[in-house]
Amino acid sequence: MVTDQFLYEMIRSELAEIVGPEHVSTEETDKLVYSTDWAWMPQMWLDRGQKLRTPDYIVHPGSAEEISEIMDIANKYRIPVVPWGGGSGTQGAALPIFGGILLDTKRMNQIIAIDEQSLTVTAQAGIIIEHLEWAVNEKGLMFPHYAASSNCATLGGALAPRGTGTISTKYGKAEDMLLSMQVVLPTGEIIRTPPVPQHAAGPDWFRLFLGSEGTLGVITEATMRLDYLPEARLLRAVLFDDLSKALEAGRLMMTHRLEPFVIRLYDHASTRTQVRKILGYDFSGAYVVIGFDGDPDIAALQEQKAMKICTDLGAIDLGREPGEKWWDHRYDFYYPPHSLKLPWMYGTTETVATFDKIERIYWAEKEAVEEGFADQGVQFIGHFSHWFHWGVMLYSRFIIEQPPQDAKEALRLHNRVWNAAMQSVIANGGMINEHHGVGLKLSRYMRKQYGPAWPLLLKLKKTFDPNGIMNPGKTGFGF
Amino acid sequence: MPIENVILTTDNCRYCLMCRHVASVEHVIHREALSPHGIALVIASVQRGLLQWNADTVGVIYSAADNGNSRAHCVFDQPLPEAIAAVRAEIVAQKLAPAVVYDLDARFKEWGNPFKQQKPQPVAGRGEVALFVGDEAQYLWPATVTAALALLKAVGISPVLVGMGRSNGYLASSLGLPETARRLAQATLADLETSGVRRMLVLSPGDFFTFNQLYDERLGIDWPASVQLSELTTFLADCLEGGEIKFKKTTQRAPYAYIDPSHAVRLPARHAGPRRLLARVLPGPARELFWRCERAHPVGSTALQFTQPDIAEKLTLARLEDARQSGAQMLISDDPGTLKCLGDKASQFGLRVQGLYELLAEQLD
Repeated sequence: MVTDQFLYEMIRSELAEIVGPEHVSTEETDKLVYSTDWAWMPQMWLDRGQKLRTPDYIVHPGSAEEISEIMDIANKYRIPVVPWGGGSGTQGAALPIFGGILLDTKRMNQIIAIDEQSLTVTAQAGIIIEHLEWAVNEKGLMFPHYAASSNCATLGGALAPRGTGTISTKYGKAEDMLLSMQVVLPTGEIIRTPPVPQHAAGPDWFRLFLGSEGTLGVITEATMRLDYLPEARLLRAVLFDDLSKALEAGRLMMTHRLEPFVIRLYDHASTRTQVRKILGYDFSGAYVVIGFDGDPDIAALQEQKAMKICTDLGAIDLGREPGEKWWDHRYDFYYPPHSLKLPWMYGTTETVATFDKIERIYWAEKEAVEEGFADQGVQFIGHFSHWFHWGVMLYSRFIIEQPPQDAKEALRLHNRVWNAAMQSVIANGGMINEHHGVGLKLSRYMRKQYGPAWPLLLKLKKTFDPNGIMNPGKTGFGF
Repeated sequence: MPIENVILTTDNCRYCLMCRHVASVEHVIHREALSPHGIALVIASVQRGLLQWNADTVGVIYSAADNGNSRAHCVFDQPLPEAIAAVRAEIVAQKLAPAVVYDLDARFKEWGNPFKQQKPQPVAGRGEVALFVGDEAQYLWPATVTAALALLKAVGISPVLVGMGRSNGYLASSLGLPETARRLAQATLADLETSGVRRMLVLSPGDFFTFNQLYDERLGIDWPASVQLSELTTFLADCLEGGEIKFKKTTQRAPYAYIDPSHAVRLPARHAGPRRLLARVLPGPARELFWRCERAHPVGSTALQFTQPDIAEKLTLARLEDARQSGAQMLISDDPGTLKCLGDKASQFGLRVQGLYELLAEQLD
């Protein structure tokens, strides 16, 4: 944090010379709004009338070259730089906890090229994902990163925390769609990763920036894979009375490579609460939406085989309507007043593991949260929504409807619930998350997650960012 | 809107980012504080004592476009524009609003409009159908009215002109002047009563929204059940469909684009009508803006033109750049306020602007 007023103004002037005075703000409104992202912790803090650490400057750069010059200033004065996309992260990765320069990339929102032969798009990293989707839709294509945050998150914000979307089961995570990118390093160099990701020209170093959440550089441009808009999207829902059998059905669909674009398996508690609230269905059991897309004949055959797997395992076929309704309303879960929101306490303790471990993790985490915090009236719900050939993600959540009103007490309780959840996940072979990233919230688990490999990551950070200016305090890296 | 509903709405919206993709002001300014959630968070933070009303915070509140994009794209229909209008009214009451707001209030009270120092014309005559003229058509793009009358004549309608030179009340409401807006609304309703009409046609989606929704939601005024409200564009499209009106094609072959006017997103069923009419009279290839139909952005014709003219201009320039990139050479719209904004700047982009009603009137067969 820049405390000397003279120096503060000097730095402001330098920043304004780079990006133009209209693109530097020190207004109190901007400082407050940029002091929180979509994480529960800072939102609760403000909700209780407590102030958060704010950025010293909010800067809207227009190019990688401008960001490079900003890096020079940050290194010269040793002030933090916090990249900001849409501010929709849930882990506190964009919080300016040490003040400094908040780098809002949304001005860098241009589509540079759409290659209809190779099916790629190259765009600046500040573009809103939905805008990118609309633009490629006009050419009969899609950018298949259908994240719940597509309306508000940026392309860079999808890549930096290794985000995923609703149809990842067929089309992959955002990182799987990445061909190459431009990055501004903390030391100011502007680099480009190789033009294609699959090659044998040495180690896969470009992946270091995926998941770095702005601690190793600023992603400024990316070339992403596109797909044709599917001719058909077939959706259907089934109901299992047994979660194990539902998981087994998903496993069989994946290991037999039926290529569903979505398998959304809600546990009994989610079916009873979330599905009823948003979709209005009064199902008892595990509600599963299954979708196939692309060529209508192939999709129909895939669906037929998937339905046989499900019915052989005892599922009830609910037909198309509950599948199609879910698809049409899949993001309604994230709109207030029906989304999880204050004054409740909540957290998404999502994880990923191989098929042999995932159900054990689900029950272990459920037990740790429900039994450990029964006195708080905690609810534990979950769904399984991003499937791989080898395993699946568990999107587990806890909810406490009447948390303490005192902000510090509430935060301590929140952190205790997270500790219980993460300890059970790590102990049972899961990762601390699959797609929300680490941010501030999960930083404290990184050493435990990586064990003897963690010092290597610390050395990499020191090499990339010798002055420690980039997004300090995040992804396990200190200041 | 009562304060408890303002709090409910802003508390719902302050951390919801789901309408950012259509947040028109944020798209041209890029400041998070000027996004719908940013504005809601500023209001919520004042309520929690984290911020005070001052030039900075008031400036944020008066930077909302109030063109309906956020609400039109909200799955659960959060009335954020209405909450912002209510907060503006509180700011006005505390004498903390920008000076221009008080100047405009005086103009509305004296002249019934913000554009010209001239009293509204009284309604003359009675009839079945009225045409609401308002202030923008009267003073900013008067050719609209002549053309509209010619078109209505072609289908056998001689409307009573109401609200000539008088604002419909939207601008006053948007600025946080609900009492002034109510007075303007009551004057319109008195015109309707005097004329005895059963149907009122309006020239823009902004007028339709104001009479159909704003009066009730923001001003607590019921629209008379005996008076059917229709947008002229939609009415003409229906007449075309029913064979009641005929047009000949122009010789104009330049690529053209229809610009969805400010507030068009508030009326999702209207988008096809003007396009059908244009396809009937213009042989040139139709282009589409990227920001069109349900995601149409406004030009600077809302209250921003007075409170934040820089933002208003950026909105207009963004529409023109969008149109230029579409390959259009001629831009057509129906709303007089939108036409004025576009017309003032179009030549900078090598574009021509024409009113929809004038074009149609010229092509009556």
